[in-house]
Order: sequence, then structure tokens, then C-alpha cells
Amino acid sequence: MSGNLLEVRDLKVHFPVKGGVLLRAKGANRAVDGVSLHIGRGETLGLVGESGCGKSTLGKAVVRLLKPTAGQILFDDIDLTDLSRREMKPVRRDVQMIFQDPAESLNSRLTVGSLISEAFEIHGIGDPVWRRERVARLLAQVGLPASAADRFPFEFSGGQRQRIGIARAIALEPKLVICDEPVSALDVSIQSQILNLLLDLQEEMGLSYLFIAHDLAVVKHISDRIAIMYLGQIMETGGADEIYETPRHPYTRALIAAIPEPDPTRRGRPKVVLEGDVPSPIHPPSGCVFHTRCSYAEERCRIEKPVLRDLIATDGGSRQVACHFDL
Amino acid sequence: MLRLNPLTVRKLKRFREIRRGYYSAILLVALTGLSLFAELMVNDRAIIVSYEGRWFFPTYADVKLGAEFGLTGTEAVTPVDYRALQARFAGTDNWVLMPVVPWGPYFNDTTEGVLKAQAPNAQRRHYLGTDSTGRDVLSRLVYGFRTAIFFAIAFTGLTYMIGVSIGCAMGYFGGVFDLLFQRIIEIWSNIPFLYMVIIVFSVIPATYEIGTRIGILLLIMVLFSWTGLTYYMRTETYKEKARDYTAAALVLGAGTTRVIFRHILPNTIATMVTFVPFTVVSAITAITALDFLGWGLPPPTPSIGELLKQGTANLTTAPWIVTSAFVALVFILAVVTFIGEAVREAFDPRKFTLYR
Repeated sequence: MSGNLLEVRDLKVHFPVKGGVLLRAKGANRAVDGVSLHIGRGETLGLVGESGCGKSTLGKAVVRLLKPTAGQILFDDIDLTDLSRREMKPVRRDVQMIFQDPAESLNSRLTVGSLISEAFEIHGIGDPVWRRERVARLLAQVGLPASAADRFPFEFSGGQRQRIGIARAIALEPKLVICDEPVSALDVSIQSQILNLLLDLQEEMGLSYLFIAHDLAVVKHISDRIAIMYLGQIMETGGADEIYETPRHPYTRALIAAIPEPDPTRRGRPKVVLEGDVPSPIHPPSGCVFHTRCSYAEERCRIEKPVLRDLIATDGGSRQVACHFDL
Repeated sequence: MLRLNPLTVRKLKRFREIRRGYYSAILLVALTGLSLFAELMVNDRAIIVSYEGRWFFPTYADVKLGAEFGLTGTEAVTPVDYRALQARFAGTDNWVLMPVVPWGPYFNDTTEGVLKAQAPNAQRRHYLGTDSTGRDVLSRLVYGFRTAIFFAIAFTGLTYMIGVSIGCAMGYFGGVFDLLFQRIIEIWSNIPFLYMVIIVFSVIPATYEIGTRIGILLLIMVLFSWTGLTYYMRTETYKEKARDYTAAALVLGAGTTRVIFRHILPNTIATMVTFVPFTVVSAITAITALDFLGWGLPPPTPSIGELLKQGTANLTTAPWIVTSAFVALVFILAVVTFIGEAVREAFDPRKFTLYR
């Protein structure tokens, strides 16, 4: 038994690109291409990357909304990789998800109460009276009045809706919650409230989070460790502060440089500006996938793919980077 | 839990604001409701007969022979002619209460000779005249409307059941199933429907009961009409399936049935509802056209199409037939179309959007 709650080994999720009259697969969109990561109990792993880097796909594969092409997903020492929908059902009580856009992730034909208690209905937990009480407690836990249960999702503001989404995700008292950009659709003023709610819930319930975001500042606030993803692959992992203070990968540096700096005395930092777009995951670059946009790229990067190698972290945790150079 | 979705309330409110459609809906529902009691208003049986202190209600009773009301001779062993009975009872303690229009849809009034259309005559209570075999036009219109509207409702119901189920399945399961059904539907919808009706009706024996024959016609029409709905339903399902609330339900562990019936279908309803009135219109038009051509409801079932056919055949000698049938048809179609317009406006998914 490993100490990790979730362990993802060399996960690949490829989508066939179909074409021609008979819609035969012509190629593959390598959305997630060989990702390994792990999340310990009660730990938060932040997964950061640009749009289209495959981070949401990775999250969906972990909750098995998508079927992985290759690799392994171990949750609590259960191999989820090839489980059927029926076999997944008991696992679903322990792995839940919070979605990016609460307006889309809440069925507006149902009241908030029935949205949340659907979890109990599906898993046959409790009777209607118990469920109603439990919904009221869950709503209180996420900071909503019990009267919210009889209203419809679209009668709430964006932040409140996300609270409803969170209440639904924690209804089954899961161990791991995949947060797929839970604050990206919200106003900045609301974002911190939701983040703090997530932190409070983590403390109360001992949750582990896989926190997916494109904003490194948000991720740093909530994560214990951070993984940087680019074009379906992990570029760098390490403790949140480590990554933030001493980024070792050129891509991470670019991401950190992109964070607005409120402190004028620190504005002198060298700026790394990324040019160009993310290459297509259907035809990823050879060698290091980042070489097309990297200012340090040499001939070697075009040919040889760097492996994720271990570094000695100053905080004593694990630290890995996928770059040929010691920057 | 019984609280109506406030969005639905808003849609209904918008529907009520569209006066023309709202009043058309009330009118149509009222007329349809009233037509269920057509026997009490347009019938050759009396509503109440008071004979020697006893009351009879022949409308919904078995056929009564003349002997029951003291008639003699041949009249004693034939079904009672309540109009004649009313005249006979005049001036006695017995009385007969006849409906407003004392003519049934099948009764041939031969007072002016067989195959003679009679002009509108308030005295004889043929308010819209008779058709070429002496049957009251108003009576046939009323019963024809009832047949048409319930035929259309049944048609719409069945078409939706098949179209929505198959369209939803295509959208939800996608892949090979979708591809296969798309091709099947393309082939199926290219079979000429009118020929099928003609072929089937020339094959089934005329000895079948009228109800059975109407059922067969309904079935053929449904069988060739459901395909149109699948296109809308398929795309709607694809759209809703890709939304995060479906993913959220799946993450909770919901099964296919739950996802389809609790999440996808309720969210597609709004779009599908807007087509209902137009389906009803097309059903009424189709059945009228078939009747006009002589391939529709089997005779002597009263129908607007059949009246139109007679009317055009006797255009110069009996213009009242075609006039009445035409006005009635235009009226029904206009009313349903007004409802359709209002529903489309009120349920416009772009106006009351729930998701972005």
C-alpha cells in the first residue's frame, strides 16, 4: 500500500482525429501524453497550464468521464483505468468533481435541493427526510441558507452557484475532489471566497484536491504542490513555494513572469514573454515539446525528448523538471 | 417540490401577453372540449324525452324503438325519429327537447329528394344547408372538426414519442448507431407517403371497421412523419449531452436512464414544444388533403376534406358547402398557427437562455 491517495502513471488520453468518407481515424489528438503524478492524503496538487494543454482532459480521465488510451490510474490502490461504468459506481463516492462554469454544471430544471440529493438517490443513501436534512447541512457548510434548497440554480449569482456545485461534490464525503478551474468563471472578488471555502472544507473533511487552473497565482494560494503542464506533458513539479520562488523550467518562468506584480520594487524582474501559440497536439513538436517557444532551445532540444528528472529540492520534497539544462 | 420552475412561469407569462395566441389557445381548448359533448348540441337524437311522466335521455342510451313512446305501425318497430316525435307530442303533456341542431352527421334528409343539396334554411334548422346527399353541413363540420382535432392530437403524440425517442437515442449514443439511423432515416423519408397510403388502402379489405381503418391511416401517417423530428432532437441531445451538468451527473454515478430522463430530456423539451402546434397544423392539413383526394378517413366519416371535395364538385349548384368547409378549415388552421407563433415566441430558447 502506497501512501498516495491518487497515483497516475504514464497516462495517455488520445482522441482519434477522424476523416474521410468512412470516418476512419487519421491521426490522434494527444491531449494527455504520458503524465505521471501523485496526490497524497489531504494534499492539494495544483495543475497549471495554458488553455488546451490537456489539464482538463487529465481531470476528466481521473474521474473516468474519459477512457484513458494508455497508462494507469490508481486511486486508493484500486486500478480505475479499465473499470466499467458499473464498477466505477462505488468509487464515485470517493472521487468527485467541481466544474468550471457553475451555470453549465447545474441542471436548471432541478431545484438546488434535488440537485444535491441526487447524489443520495443514485447511491441509495438515506430516506427523503434524512436527505432533506443533509442537504440543509451541506448548504450551511458551503455558506448558503437552507431555503436555497427550494430555489433553482439560475436564481443565484455565479459565486453562489459555485457553492452549490461544491455542496454537490462534497455530498458523498469524497476523499478526492477534482477542481476543474473552479474559480476561472468567477469575479476576482468572489474567487478568494471560493478558494477559502475549499481550504476550510479540506480542513474539516480531510479532502485531497487536484486543483486545475491556468492562473499560477490562484494555484499557489491553495496548493501544497504544483505540476506545470504543457501540451499534454508535465514540465515541472515541486512544492508550491519552490516552484514559485525558484522555477527551473523556462516555461514555468514564463508563466510566473506573466503574473502581474503588485510590488513596484520587484518590477525589475527579467520578463520572459512567450511568443507564438501552443503547437497543435495532433502534430506535437519533436524532441522537447516546448522547444518551438523556448528562448534557450538548442539543436539537442529538437531531437531529444527530455525526461522528467529528479532535482534536489530545498524544501526536502520531491522536485522534478523536464529540461536538458540546469537553469 | 411542487413549485413551478420560475422560468416556466415567465414563459407562460410571456405566452399570455401575446394576446392573439393566448386567446386562440383558449378558443381551441374550449372548442375541443365542447366537441366532446357535440352529441348534446348537434344530433338527431333528443336530449330529453318526457313521456307519460317518465324522462328519457336518448343521447347516450341505446337505440329506442317507436313502441316505447306509444307509436304504432311501422314506426313502432323502427328507431324513433325524434323530430317527428316532437311534432307529434306538440299540444300534449309529453314533450321532446331536441339539440340546437337536430341533425346527425349521417342522417340523410330526403324531404327535397335524394341527392339534392338543400340551401341553408333556419326554418328546417339546416343552418348551413345540407350536402349533396342531404346530410346537414354544420353537423358534419362539427363532427369533422372533432375527428380532425383528435386525429391530429393522436398523430402529434405518436410522432413525438417515436421521433423524440429515436432522435434522443441517436444523439446520446452517437457513433455507429447515429450513423446507421441517419442513413435509415434518409432512405425512409424518401418513400413517397401518398403512394403508401393509396397502396395500403387498396390492399386492406373494405370490411374492416371504420375505427380500424382510421387507426391504420394514423399509423401510416405517423410512420412516415416521425423522421422530421429526429433531426431537431438529435442535435438538441448532442448539445445537452456535452454540457457539464451531464458530466456532473455521470461523476455522481448516474446511469444512462437517469441522465436521459432527468437531465437531457427536460432540457430539450422547451425546443421540442415549439414544434407541437405546427405538427398539429400539418396533421390537420394532411388529413384534409387526403380526404379531399378520397384516400383519407373512410366514408361516411364526416370530415372537412370530404366536404371540400363535395363542395368543389357542386360549386355552382351548392356553393354553401364549399364556403362553410373553407371558412371552417381556414379558421382552425389560423387558430392553431396563432398558437404556434405565440408558443415559439414565448419559449424562444435564445430569449430565456439557461446556459451560455
